[in-house]
Amino acid sequence: MPDIVVTVAFAWATLLLVGGGLLLLRAQDALHRILALDVLVGIVIALLTILSYVNGVSYYIDAALALALLSFTATLVAARYVLRGRQF
Amino acid sequence: MADPGDLIGGLVGLAGSVLLLLGLTLATIGLFGLLRKPDIFDQLHPAGLITGPAVLLVLVASLATREAAIITSAILVIGFVLITSSLSSHAIAQAALHHARNRRRSEEGSDAVPWDPAGRHDGL
Repeated sequence: MPDIVVTVAFAWATLLLVGGGLLLLRAQDALHRILALDVLVGIVIALLTILSYVNGVSYYIDAALALALLSFTATLVAARYVLRGRQF
Repeated sequence: MADPGDLIGGLVGLAGSVLLLLGLTLATIGLFGLLRKPDIFDQLHPAGLITGPAVLLVLVASLATREAAIITSAILVIGFVLITSSLSSHAIAQAALHHARNRRRSEEGSDAVPWDPAGRHDGL
């Protein structure tokens, strides 16, 4: 891919991260915060992927995989906590 | 006369650029929808747009790097995202539905009409 496209994509994803932070700040209750964190992790996965295209190395995508696993578990457990009012 | 390898490389790079920018456009649209709609049930759809297709398109653009290590890792993440994004959306939707039903029950008493998820005009 051309360098200019990858650089523009990187800056764009960083701006999306700012928008996700705004969404997290505007959240009214716990469910909105869970959803905002889920979206933020999605943007961070895209950002790490673009970072690995910039540098031409693969281990940033492995970090994104670990982050996706942690985010999935955290979302599931937090939603279950809101559902039942206690842990698990 | 152009070298065929250069031509194919240029085409693959163009396709990767289009996929990357399309994914970021989808993410921007989803974020706009999230910031515009306050209701949690309305927010689930743009959130699914970001965690699903937008991330997948950015990951599919890894094919244009033509490096085996990056493509292998990206395919792993694609499989994982395909499984988990729908599951976490479902968990959030279930919790939100439970929350809304509890609130409706405590407001109107136990013999109220059943809550209708389609007609949600109570500003949840």
